[in-house]
Amino acid sequence: MALGVLAQRVIGATLIDSDRIGVRSRRVLDALPLAVIAAVIGLATLSSDGELEIDARVGGVAVAALCASRRLPMFVTVLAAATATTVIRF
Amino acid sequence: MLPAGTLFTLSEAISLALAYFTVGLTVTTLHISEGTSPQVMLASIFLVNAVTPTLAFAAVVASGGTTAAGVLSGWLVSTRFGLVAAAIAPRMWASRGKRAAAAHFAFDTNVAIAQREPDDHNAQRVYVAAAIWLCIPWWVGGVLGVIIGERLGDPQSLGLDAVFPAVLLAIIWPQMQDRTRIPIAGLAAAAALLLVEIAPGGVPVVVGACGALFAARRRPENDPVA
Repeated sequence: MALGVLAQRVIGATLIDSDRIGVRSRRVLDALPLAVIAAVIGLATLSSDGELEIDARVGGVAVAALCASRRLPMFVTVLAAATATTVIRF
Repeated sequence: MLPAGTLFTLSEAISLALAYFTVGLTVTTLHISEGTSPQVMLASIFLVNAVTPTLAFAAVVASGGTTAAGVLSGWLVSTRFGLVAAAIAPRMWASRGKRAAAAHFAFDTNVAIAQREPDDHNAQRVYVAAAIWLCIPWWVGGVLGVIIGERLGDPQSLGLDAVFPAVLLAIIWPQMQDRTRIPIAGLAAAAALLLVEIAPGGVPVVVGACGALFAARRRPENDPVA
């Protein structure tokens, strides 16, 4: 995976003239990481090993959303999410 | 460590350091507790040198996806780095070799901070400085995470399995200020979840990624700013 990531960065830095990417393509490319991350968040919260599963993680992620909306530091968000999930499981 | 005469402040530098240290620590701890070998993890910290792809890979594999799906997700996520590297490239060093070397340290944060500088030379200095301020904590946090991860037991017992999506959510949250992004994210997540029981391995994530096509809709407020 490292090679692919590096390749993308290097190509971006050296070969691509960003003015030549069409506006629409640019918009889609811009949205791509967000879409992937959103999909991953969904799967990581609500599924397990190929099956839908709702459990304490939902609470943890909800708490994380709350922390993020208050612009709390990452450290706090992580701690809060882990704690919330553990407490809910109890 | 802070270039003089630029807009990059110490408080920003410290925020970067703390944030990347935290994610470095959490990402690697989780990765290891899900079964990644320490050697692979250590290599990845330095060779991939990126938070979101590493996290995406870990999250996909942890919820049951294949390694290939994890790698693909990582690559799809890292397209962003290619784009930001391209965005700032015109202002960077003239030598392609230097730009290529610098590209390994392209993150959306340091590129954004460097872009603020009106002067190109300062932009380069800030790019490098910000990269240092975030990479070193990332590496340190990462290595620490490898050490700690080995000693942790079941990720679920400490609520760590929720931390993957939690960190990712916190990372993309600022982007959601732009309301046009919310439907894209929602669509992607929904599409992936709808498929998770009927499609194997990495298919749900890739289909979710197609949610990005939603961004191609012609909407007046999207033009002309790229």
